[in-house]
Amino acid sequence: MALAGLRYFAVNPAKRTIMRNCLPKEKVLALLLLCLVFSTALMAQHTTIHGRVVSGDSALSNVTVMVRGATGAVQTDDNGAFTLDADLHATLIFSRVGFQTLTVGLNGRHSVEVSLVPSNQQMADVIVVGYGTQKRADVTGAVSSVPKDRLSELPVTNLFQAVEGSVAGVSVSNTSSVPGATPNVLVRGQNSITANSGPYVVVDGFPLTGTNGSINDINPNDVASVEVLKDASATAIYGTNGSNGVILITTKRGKPGKPVIQVNTYTGFDKLAHVLEPRDGPSYVQKYKDFMTETKQVQTGPVPNQSELANYNAAKTTDWIKQVTQQGVTTDNSLSISGGSKDVRYFISGEYEKQKGAIKGYQYHRAGVRANLDIDVTNFLTIGTSTYYAYNNYDGGQANLLFATAMSPYGVEYNPDGTYNIYPMYPELLYTNPLLGLYTTNINHTSTLSGNGYAEVKFGGVVKGLKYRLNAGSSYLPAAIYTYTGRDAYNLLGQATTYNSETNHYLVENILTYARDFDKHHIDFTGLYSAEQRKYFVDAYTATGFVNDLLTYNNIGAAATLTPTSIYEQYAATPPPGNPNAGAKGSYQSKYNKLSQMARINYSYNDRYLLTLTARRDGSSVFGANTSKYGLFPSAAVGWNIAQESFMNNVRFVSNLKLRGSYGKTGNQAIDPYGTITSDNSVQNTMNGLTTIGVIGGTLGNADLHWESTTQANIGLDFGFFQSRITGNLDVYHSNTSGLILSRQIPSITGYASILDNVGKTQNEGIEFTLTTRNIVLKDFRWETMLNFSANKNKIVDLYGNHKSDTGNVWFIGHPIGVVYDYMRQGVWQQGEDPSKQDPTALPGDLKFADITNDGKVTAADKTILGQTSPKWTGGMTNTFHYRGFHLSVFIQTVQGLTKNDNDLNYVDETGRRNTPAAVGYWTPANKSNFWPALSYFNTRGYGYPMNASYTRLKNVTLSYTFPDKELSTAHISGLTIYATALNLYTWTKWIGWDPEDNYGMRGSTTWLSNYPEVRSIIFGVNLQLR
Amino acid sequence: MKLLIYIFSVLVFLCGCKKSYLAETPYSTYSPATLTDSLGFEAAVDGMYYQVSIYYTYSNHQGWPSVWQVGTDVAFATQPEGIEVPYYNYATLISTDAAADEEWTWAYELISDANNIIANVEKPGLTGLGASTVADIDGEAHFMRGYAYEQLAICFGGVPLVTQPLTGPKTNFVRASLDSVNALIASDLQFAAGALPDITAVPSNSAGKLYGRANKYMAMQLLAECYIRMKEYSQAEAQTQAILSSGRFSLVQSRYGVHASQPGDAFSDMFVYGNQRRSQGNTEAIWVLEQQNPNTTAGGSSGSGQQRRNWGAAYYKETGMAICDSLGGRGIGRMRLSNWVLYNLYDSGDMRNSEWNIRRHYWYNDPTHPALYGQPVPYNNSDTIYILCPHTTKWYCFDPNDVFGYATIKDYIIMRLGETYLLQAEAQVGEGHLADAAASINVLRTRAGAPAVSSSQMTLDFVLDERARELIGEENRRMTLMRTGTLVSRVMSLNSASVVNPVTNITSKALLLPIPQNEIYLNKDAMLTQNPGY
Repeated sequence: MALAGLRYFAVNPAKRTIMRNCLPKEKVLALLLLCLVFSTALMAQHTTIHGRVVSGDSALSNVTVMVRGATGAVQTDDNGAFTLDADLHATLIFSRVGFQTLTVGLNGRHSVEVSLVPSNQQMADVIVVGYGTQKRADVTGAVSSVPKDRLSELPVTNLFQAVEGSVAGVSVSNTSSVPGATPNVLVRGQNSITANSGPYVVVDGFPLTGTNGSINDINPNDVASVEVLKDASATAIYGTNGSNGVILITTKRGKPGKPVIQVNTYTGFDKLAHVLEPRDGPSYVQKYKDFMTETKQVQTGPVPNQSELANYNAAKTTDWIKQVTQQGVTTDNSLSISGGSKDVRYFISGEYEKQKGAIKGYQYHRAGVRANLDIDVTNFLTIGTSTYYAYNNYDGGQANLLFATAMSPYGVEYNPDGTYNIYPMYPELLYTNPLLGLYTTNINHTSTLSGNGYAEVKFGGVVKGLKYRLNAGSSYLPAAIYTYTGRDAYNLLGQATTYNSETNHYLVENILTYARDFDKHHIDFTGLYSAEQRKYFVDAYTATGFVNDLLTYNNIGAAATLTPTSIYEQYAATPPPGNPNAGAKGSYQSKYNKLSQMARINYSYNDRYLLTLTARRDGSSVFGANTSKYGLFPSAAVGWNIAQESFMNNVRFVSNLKLRGSYGKTGNQAIDPYGTITSDNSVQNTMNGLTTIGVIGGTLGNADLHWESTTQANIGLDFGFFQSRITGNLDVYHSNTSGLILSRQIPSITGYASILDNVGKTQNEGIEFTLTTRNIVLKDFRWETMLNFSANKNKIVDLYGNHKSDTGNVWFIGHPIGVVYDYMRQGVWQQGEDPSKQDPTALPGDLKFADITNDGKVTAADKTILGQTSPKWTGGMTNTFHYRGFHLSVFIQTVQGLTKNDNDLNYVDETGRRNTPAAVGYWTPANKSNFWPALSYFNTRGYGYPMNASYTRLKNVTLSYTFPDKELSTAHISGLTIYATALNLYTWTKWIGWDPEDNYGMRGSTTWLSNYPEVRSIIFGVNLQLR
Repeated sequence: MKLLIYIFSVLVFLCGCKKSYLAETPYSTYSPATLTDSLGFEAAVDGMYYQVSIYYTYSNHQGWPSVWQVGTDVAFATQPEGIEVPYYNYATLISTDAAADEEWTWAYELISDANNIIANVEKPGLTGLGASTVADIDGEAHFMRGYAYEQLAICFGGVPLVTQPLTGPKTNFVRASLDSVNALIASDLQFAAGALPDITAVPSNSAGKLYGRANKYMAMQLLAECYIRMKEYSQAEAQTQAILSSGRFSLVQSRYGVHASQPGDAFSDMFVYGNQRRSQGNTEAIWVLEQQNPNTTAGGSSGSGQQRRNWGAAYYKETGMAICDSLGGRGIGRMRLSNWVLYNLYDSGDMRNSEWNIRRHYWYNDPTHPALYGQPVPYNNSDTIYILCPHTTKWYCFDPNDVFGYATIKDYIIMRLGETYLLQAEAQVGEGHLADAAASINVLRTRAGAPAVSSSQMTLDFVLDERARELIGEENRRMTLMRTGTLVSRVMSLNSASVVNPVTNITSKALLLPIPQNEIYLNKDAMLTQNPGY
């Protein structure tokens, strides 16, 4: 078996240079060389041996150096240097956690320089752990890194897409594929019921979460590393923001040397991955006939509406899906230049991305620049910046996919003058022309300006190992949405809406760190004192009654009425991408303040025994006035590097083995500002034709409200076998969340619908497993497999302290937070069957529901829990094949064990009025379907049509070719990769509808804007590096 | 080391300001503290009218107006939306019923708003408000609370009594007896009748007197209905007599208003938008909830009332017919008047059955169909059920800028003098004063040009017939029949066999609505007993 290739295999060695972490290794190296020269000059005679240990380019500290057969040992210092007394023909043994032990004979030499080979490269990596970095080997918490090649090779419009399926315990879901939409991310299941359960995202030390910033603001090409902190030990340092996991994003920084110019460009082509085809002409006509028969109506024509007759008679049909879709095209160009001198290092980049949607009218484009600077002002002071500007644009009046599916194939698309016909099925006025949105103006953009700086002082001269760092950052995020709907889109008065918001955020952090080694003891202390503020202001107006369609939103004062309003209330209940507070009315301002203190101690002994203690104290303005507003969040963790133990010396196949355990408490502040204060709503009314303002009951406050807290225990094992041919980790966790903030429904008798309250407990337990195997390692061919699996079991332990379920809110003790609670479907009532004992009002063709209570009728009491809305387990598998410069990677993702309501099956009372998908059948007395109800079944019970939404997706296939260096050097090119990627190639699922991952809205649910199913993309790209 | 000093000072600064740094004061929302000055009270009172209006303009379920009409003696569903289905297919009227839930929630929200005002305005030590202002505000809040509880009592019987504002969650409500609910309604309305101003003395805004605000006759008319329900007939009659003898109101006897020169009659004039308010010449108006087109007046309507679409015919579906003003805009005919109303209810010559009040004929009006234009539209097949059904014109309205017309932009006449006579007749029948009852009813019949009736005809059923003749489309027919306990008998005898969506499985349980199941669930610390049969 070929055991070569133990060193890290970068897929693109040229690129790895800038992908590497941003420790100032070069500086250390320079110092080291100086030391070496110095020490050589002082080289003594006889038996004093000087030496230095490195790994790759870096000096290696804490390496244990022993003389074979002797007692006692020394350790290398920060420069990798050591001195010991030995016989000139002695044999030295070098050992260090994470590295293969090396035995070297002195053979008469007075000095040696040895290079240790990592036993597991991953263990030697330095990773970001929040308020600092740590060697992977020293980490005691459950921290996962997104594979670097996933970051550098997958063309994605936002970073979360690169995370999807690649890290165990992190679930990423796209409920809509609207260009520019960001996915939902969940770390280790849902803790909170009503509060946001998304992870806390931090970019270069500054939070993105809570600033109204979007992951879209971060250019994926700029990212050096992404770490996911999962257990309490890792997340407790984020206190009230820690309980849903933390994602740390670190951007690239410059290194001394010649400038490196990196150009990445790609072009992708999108189509809807799966089209839910509507019925064709004959099928539509038959459906209408069957509808009229089943509803016992007299049919007077072949089609429901008079305006369809002309096309019907001419046998002319319109493919409405084709009309609203188009070839989507995405292009992305990014350029970065990095480099610097010993004292001044820079990384600057720019990106422009443009995405034309696969549904007409949808588009997204963004532009961004970044400048990361590091300057060593003196030998004790370093300052730097991480500054970026991002512009996201979601403009465009959009075509309506929902209405396209509803249109009669005989509907009339155009007026005689070539404009869109407003009601293609006139006099059916429920469904307008799906393309009418293209006649509306929709301006929607956000900007982010984020300026962050730091100053770091080393107190080496005074107290060795002590550092102070000041981080100060501020971000400014204006957002704007303007719309206009005019006469051509059948608003005869003309209506404009405007929406402007701005968010100002600042964070000041004082961080004190102290790191020292005392013999085999290593101690590392971090202390934090910080203050954070977010201010938000928004105003939104609707103006109606324009003279003509000339001025639009550019002069809302020219309209007859101007009302403070919620923008998008006429289009969509969900805020548009990038504008989380688009529901605001009139104008609104809020302020959020937080004060924090944190201390962390890392201690290790002999690299084998690791201990981490953390405590954070957060004070947040959002908590109730009757509380102290402060919360304390402690955690402790231990680690044991078993592979370092001497008794493991003979266990040759184990290259790494570490056991970790942690226990701690984290929080979730969970509520928006003013959520604890009783407030009234103001309303408009008229008296004698004059507008008057009234107030009515709004929200019932709760001044005792405090944070939710989660305690979590985690046990993990990191392993590497057979010289790291097999590596991986296994984590098992159990967490309890208590003091859950619930927007708990209360009886309407109170005059209010709900109140926020700290009630309830939830529990999550799960297992996460990651395995990387290098199956075949030959000179020219390699095959690697990366597998991850995670299962999470979530349940509600208690709600209101009385261990009673809450049927009104669909929360059941002992069951997951999200469940489908509905009637149990048994089939369809057939002619001749007697429903009188089960569901006396049922008619043949109605859905047959189980009478669980056996009382001879189907009532609300017959509803039961039919499944959970979160997956029971998820997995991902990436197989990568390398042959010389060619690389093929195939990524399959699976999401299993979840149930969702399927709106693609629910047509309520509109079955006869609109077209329906061909895949959605219906009962007739002749076909006796036992699955589909009759067209006359209007679903008056509000059944949600739950379906199994599990799926397995061939998510990504990438073929790339990296040109060999020797072919490039003559052209001053230091790296060149070309690739082709296919996304969402195939999906295996039992789901009937557009896509199991989509949340597809029904008519009237006003979310049609996000009815944009998964797309299949084919992408071609070039990554070029010049030096 | 200057830097260290700087850092230290930053730390001290941060520590020093932490108390105020974490305090919270909302910038953009009012709190109940707003209620402490006269402007705050004024806004809170105005909020109650808004709350009343959302009952009428509710459109989350478009079939909402039909709930209160179909499955009674006067109408049946033709294009049901869904929410009204259990109200003719009574077997499906179960405890999760959406309409019962909406009724319940709406009423208790109004009660909460009223309780907030009452508690604050009656708070000892309140200063800055004159005694008459306090009386007006307190009277309006008591009237609204009585109005809400009266609906709850009719729909649900004895319900939990809440008379104080809540400061935290409460989940141990129990149902009070119907007697104690009635006692609260009577005392609230008696208080309101005493505290509220005469209609001539209501406050003004810059456009004139605020006739849309509560006056004492509103409280008295509601009190009359409540007393009748309590079988306190003489007390009821005292209230109606007081209204009739006040001299403030008179029946509309002749043409008036914005359509006076167009074809029509005195009765139909009352329901033309622009004529409905007291300030617009409607001498019958006791309580008119005003609406404006929200596209031209901010806050003109709190929602999208579905009355026109429910009551109006879907004539637009007929080739050759165009949506127009004189046909009342675009109806969709969710319900149709029962055959009893259309063919048996009215004596000949009754103005209330004229073509201007119940439309039965159409002429082609779409000039793009010249062959048909101007011809009478013949009835074919099911046209009289779905498309050209005869219908009340009371909800006609049309906005040329919004032909589709989702909302009904029209004032809601909640109380008028015509009903005062009917309530009086009902009380007199209850007292056995049949001659008086006949006299009360004959006032309306004389105005309508219908033949007079005699005391021998006076029964509760006759009064209910007369209510249908006079108030069709206006009154909440279901509540009238539930209040009088006649729902089952009248449905079975007058509207049991409509050609589509006939009434099925009606039993006496329908005399009360189910207590919403969700309320029973959420009220976890005490039992809200369900009404019989649910």
